Amino acid sequence: MNPRRQILVVTFSCFFTWTQDGLAADPERKIDFGREIRPILNENCVECHGGVQQAADLSFIHREAALSVIEPGAPDDSYLMERVRSKDESEVMPPPEHGPPLSEDQIAVLERWIEQGAEWRQPWAYERPVAPAIPQNADDQWSNNPIDRFVLARLQEESIKPAAKASPEQWLRRVWLDLTGLPPGPEDHDAFLRDVAARGDLAYQRVVNQLLASPAFGERWASVWLDQIRYADSRGLGLDGRREIWKYRDWVIDAINQDMPFDEFTIKQIAGDLLPDSTIGDLVATAANRLTQTNEEGGTDDEEFRVNAVLDRVSTVWQTWQGITFGCVQCHSHPYDPIQHEEFYQFAAFFNNTADCDLSEDLPLLRMPVDPNDEPRASRLDEQIRSLEESTWRRESKALQDDFAGWRPIDELSAEANKATKIDVEQRGDRTEFFTTDTLSSGTQITLTANLPEGLQSLSALRLTIAPRNVESALRDSEWGFVLSHVHAELVEGNNEPQTLRFSRVIGDEPHPFKDPDQSLNAKSSEGFAAYSRIHYPRQAVFVLESPLRVREGSKLILRLENRVTLLGAFPLVARRGSLDATDQPGIGELLANEGLQRDRERLEQLRSERRAIPSSLTPVTRERPDHLTRPTHVFIRGLFLTKDKQVQPAVPAAFPPLSEKLPPNRLALARWLVSESNPLTARVLVNRVWARVFGVGIVATEEDFGTSGELPSHPALLDYLATRFQGIQDWSLKSLIKSIVLSSTYRQDAVIRPDLHERDPQNRLLARGPRFRMPAEMVRDNALAVSGLLSTKMHGRPVHPPIPDGIWKPFQGGDKWVTPGPESGDRYRRSIYTYTKRSIPYPMFAAFDAPSREFCTPRRLRSNTPIQALMTLNDTTFVECSRALADRMAQSGQDLEAQIRYGFLAVACRRPSETEVGSLMKLYRTCISEGASPGDGMDAIATVLLNLDEITSK
Amino acid sequence: MTREKLYQQLNRESLAATTRRHFLRDSALGLGAIWVAAENAAAANFSPQHLATNPLSPLAPPLPAKVNRVIYLHMVGAPSQLELFDYKPDLNALDGQDCPASFLEGKRFAFINGTPKMLGHQYKFARYGDCGAWVSEQLPHLSQVVDELCFIKTVQTDQFNHGPAQLLVHTGATQMGSPSIGSWVTWGLGSENSDLPGFIVLLSGGRLPRVGKALWSAGFLPSVYQGVQCRSQGDPVLNVSNPEGVSRQRRRAVLDTLEQLNRESYQQFGDPETLTRIAQYEMAFRMQTAAPEAMDLSRETTDTLEAYGAEPGRESFANNCLLARRLVEQGVRYVQLFDWGWDTHGSNKGESLHHGFRDKCSQTDRPIAALLRDLRQRGLLEDTLVVWGGEFGRTPMRENRMGATMAYMGRDHSPDAFTIWMAGAGVKPGFTFGETDAVGYTPAVNPVQLRDLHATLLHLLGFDHHELSYSFKGLDQRLTGVKPARVIEEILA
Repeated sequence: MNPRRQILVVTFSCFFTWTQDGLAADPERKIDFGREIRPILNENCVECHGGVQQAADLSFIHREAALSVIEPGAPDDSYLMERVRSKDESEVMPPPEHGPPLSEDQIAVLERWIEQGAEWRQPWAYERPVAPAIPQNADDQWSNNPIDRFVLARLQEESIKPAAKASPEQWLRRVWLDLTGLPPGPEDHDAFLRDVAARGDLAYQRVVNQLLASPAFGERWASVWLDQIRYADSRGLGLDGRREIWKYRDWVIDAINQDMPFDEFTIKQIAGDLLPDSTIGDLVATAANRLTQTNEEGGTDDEEFRVNAVLDRVSTVWQTWQGITFGCVQCHSHPYDPIQHEEFYQFAAFFNNTADCDLSEDLPLLRMPVDPNDEPRASRLDEQIRSLEESTWRRESKALQDDFAGWRPIDELSAEANKATKIDVEQRGDRTEFFTTDTLSSGTQITLTANLPEGLQSLSALRLTIAPRNVESALRDSEWGFVLSHVHAELVEGNNEPQTLRFSRVIGDEPHPFKDPDQSLNAKSSEGFAAYSRIHYPRQAVFVLESPLRVREGSKLILRLENRVTLLGAFPLVARRGSLDATDQPGIGELLANEGLQRDRERLEQLRSERRAIPSSLTPVTRERPDHLTRPTHVFIRGLFLTKDKQVQPAVPAAFPPLSEKLPPNRLALARWLVSESNPLTARVLVNRVWARVFGVGIVATEEDFGTSGELPSHPALLDYLATRFQGIQDWSLKSLIKSIVLSSTYRQDAVIRPDLHERDPQNRLLARGPRFRMPAEMVRDNALAVSGLLSTKMHGRPVHPPIPDGIWKPFQGGDKWVTPGPESGDRYRRSIYTYTKRSIPYPMFAAFDAPSREFCTPRRLRSNTPIQALMTLNDTTFVECSRALADRMAQSGQDLEAQIRYGFLAVACRRPSETEVGSLMKLYRTCISEGASPGDGMDAIATVLLNLDEITSK
Repeated sequence: MTREKLYQQLNRESLAATTRRHFLRDSALGLGAIWVAAENAAAANFSPQHLATNPLSPLAPPLPAKVNRVIYLHMVGAPSQLELFDYKPDLNALDGQDCPASFLEGKRFAFINGTPKMLGHQYKFARYGDCGAWVSEQLPHLSQVVDELCFIKTVQTDQFNHGPAQLLVHTGATQMGSPSIGSWVTWGLGSENSDLPGFIVLLSGGRLPRVGKALWSAGFLPSVYQGVQCRSQGDPVLNVSNPEGVSRQRRRAVLDTLEQLNRESYQQFGDPETLTRIAQYEMAFRMQTAAPEAMDLSRETTDTLEAYGAEPGRESFANNCLLARRLVEQGVRYVQLFDWGWDTHGSNKGESLHHGFRDKCSQTDRPIAALLRDLRQRGLLEDTLVVWGGEFGRTPMRENRMGATMAYMGRDHSPDAFTIWMAGAGVKPGFTFGETDAVGYTPAVNPVQLRDLHATLLHLLGFDHHELSYSFKGLDQRLTGVKPARVIEEILA
């Protein structure tokens, strides 16, 4: 990346130009680091002495590093000054080949700054917002609320008058679309005009309250959130198979409709699973982390794509909540922002211990009831099941302990493997271990022949330890794991017939395993004791005999381990190393026979079957791995997961306020940190996002970058006012925030572009008019469905499949069908948010209108204007059906053509047409009829025009 | 206002905006800075300035260019360089022996497990043309035009799974979400034909590439630069046909009325986007005739159809080669063909070296040779570049999936060296760059990264790959990514 050019943009984009006057005039003036010094450093120094390049180990990103050449208080002792003042070409900084020397003014400012103590300040966005004073203006007749006072103050600086008020109907359509994504109907139009006439401004408040309470509000604003959190109904990459995760989308819609405070909304999504007494809703919220891509392509390394998912979670959190581009820190320190390479991995450590690992079956899954009415019962059952699993395992797992069970290692062992798998044994410590070498065949059977430990009188249980092939390196670079699909054991005494051992139980080493260890005893199942699908640590399971078996001296144990599972068509999950212990102690049998435990196990089975009876959608969620199986996190050298550097612990970057010391440093602490009072960015980023959706451009235009390379805010005080208020008195309420914005006079301005102002401010950054811009894809489609009367208002549920052009749906995986319901089904005309979102085949209408395909967090959408869009709204099946329906609606609406046209126009544009507009449409109708079209086709032509109006595509 | 007048007005506005921008940049007013900031926020380095009416208006490249248009032929699945172009007599000598451990150390494979056997060439090679390049007997037609080709034998990728590897070839990134080469190029240069999309994608039928549209996505560039998939069956461009029962005449009447009403909106609100929208509807109307004409192979002579092996109305690679010629002839900037079925593991008959692979060769050999001859004959090869390749190479070892000897013969994915060839403008004809080791496994000399290939493509089209960048998420994003990339000067004509 090229910092120089970026910085140029930044300096151009300063809304507040700063002239270096006053230095001479006011020798006491305090130098402002952010406005005067950082730009000099960024423009002239950081390309070589920054986060990426640190020539001569010098960086001007952090004060500490810069102090090697700066002596606070003593410019003449500062090496920096010596170099920038130098007239010698080989000495002067920046070097002539990199750029011109600093100007006299710049040198003077630097000097003064060092003299004043070389005070260093964080970039503006890294400092907590402070509630600003609200500008006061005695003559202000215009402002409706404090937002307006900030806007007006800025306009007055530029000697610009705000625009006139929008007509009530213009405002009505705008606010309907902004709040619900749907247009007002003719009845809403008429009712509002009557109400305005009767009650004035109160009518505006009433509409806003009504729209905020409408379920459509959640559907509109959920779609904004789903762009950030990269929601899709498919897995991405390799096969892009279907992923069932729509319950999360419904959760978002409901949370927004319930006006769940944004802090709570945040905590549940990032760490709902770690909340004390988490409910089923808290868990489904954590699906947010699972929206990363997985790769199911044959022969792909699950660990590689698990790591990718973890890193994407890191980037998404920074992008979505902090408005900071964090991705580049994966490979090197941030080029401009004070974030170090190592800090990326410290942050990644928060996410590195979740149980998911790029499995094609998307484990871990939550059984989310399809019918929300079942949720309380399911939630209760889940809680009981989970705590019983925990407590029974805690009691049973004593069997694994050496001192409890009296385990004795088996040190005489031989091993054989079938197929192409090669196996050997070696002595390690007090035992013999088998280990595989080289090729591993799918379906490998390993046969172990062991001499039981000397003096063993009977056999009550076996303990099987399965370890990585390379125990030392696996902790850092995990290996493919194993699944013991079936374990068969025999005892051979002398020349007697082998005697098959009968096991009653298998006790594994974790409370909630992906695979049930007991299934190792079921010859028909391929499940069983497993490290699924990666192994970092040696793993253990106890195989308990139904009843202790007397053994004679010299008996041989023959154990057959069947490894039947192969992942991704390439990776046989085979035990690669292992050893055995035996015991003759009765303790385990007694432990399992405990009445309380028995009762709990029965109860567990009963609860599970009760839970299974509740029809559910299996939703991927976030779960933490148990402490004893924690994955360590390392710095990746140059961002590559195969080359690991030092190990790190979870932490937030030092440039930010610290995590709470009262909490263990985990995901939950991180989530709370994001929404803590001291976090400088979360509230700003959120209010800016809402502002941008409403006004078309954010107060910080680079919504994705609040860092030093992003643009400065157009109205910094307004941003901080909104942020502090949102965090404070509004208590993170999205509805309160939006309400204050749409009831402002700023929002209520007419959208007409005054020619003189368009020249000065084409993007309307100064807010001297009301917003008017092309609607997002979903709104374009939903609007057409609504005005034509086709829209189904049914909420929630599985993704739907509206008409799609022929030849588009050719998924790589044939099983993923797109079945479009007929015109009689409401599901053909559902709101766009319910459309099946497949990453590799975006719905063509959405793709044409700039909707992202949701591979990654998309902070903001572009707005393009293309012929493909025109073809879409003219000819695409959905729009053709809308046009037909609108034509019918018009035909039934009035006695004569003119009345019908007037009705249609009002329905579509939320205003009455002008005479010329009516005239043009009447003329079109007559032209069509004169060319032989039927009255229905003539009306359809009119409807097509209406649905394609620029006014309709714009909000 | 007549339509012509409207365009004049639009162009005037767009020019006025440019002048004003210069004025503002030079003025010391704070608001001048705002304007520039708003403009520059999207693009930091080289920023193409398209007409306000047409985001695909043709632009001259910033640097002298040899190439004006590109046809990129991607054999999805990764064809075996060892059965096509990279002849290694030593490999035949090692056939059937255990793979040396040194070949396996530190390597990751998709399917090879443990110790596989070496696998000799499965087809005969001979030298062809004045350049004497080795070509397999499976390519009898291409071997006749080998003097047009410029081979790179040592292309490397760091991906050995199809999805990420295909993305790396076309977008320079291994995850979905970045612009494809065709998007960068049409963003930078626009298109010479305003009635057709500037970036067209043609699929041979069969399977869609696994990451689908991500391979021709505009990523973070405006969506107008995304590849438009055109089809030889059904609507050649999505929604290009009027709904049933709507004549072109009636559509014209609808658009005339729409324009009148939209012009009234413009009068009222003064939003230039409204004028742009009017222009887009006109372009769409022209595309409705231009696209079906361009895609209509029945306009070709029988001789031409035969030379390509094309059959109008079918979905085939041969048809797509002929369409590619028709499209570049009409000024389409970037034509991307995807063929499928080249993933020759040996895991089934279709994906084996002795069956499916032969079929793929015979389906593509004749049309590619015909395309090169045809372009040459029409003088199009003077400023058109044709690129052929896959997403990685294949191992000199026989695949032994799950440790078993497989029923069919095949090779696993091999990212360290594969062959790509180019032909046409700007590259040396009858030339080979790079050489692999004795078994075609890794480069012996002159390794070439995919990002070098991207840098070279951009160079040929008149761009410095450092400069063609777009600011997104706070970074200057570019096709060649963050690692150093170089133009492969050695292959430039």
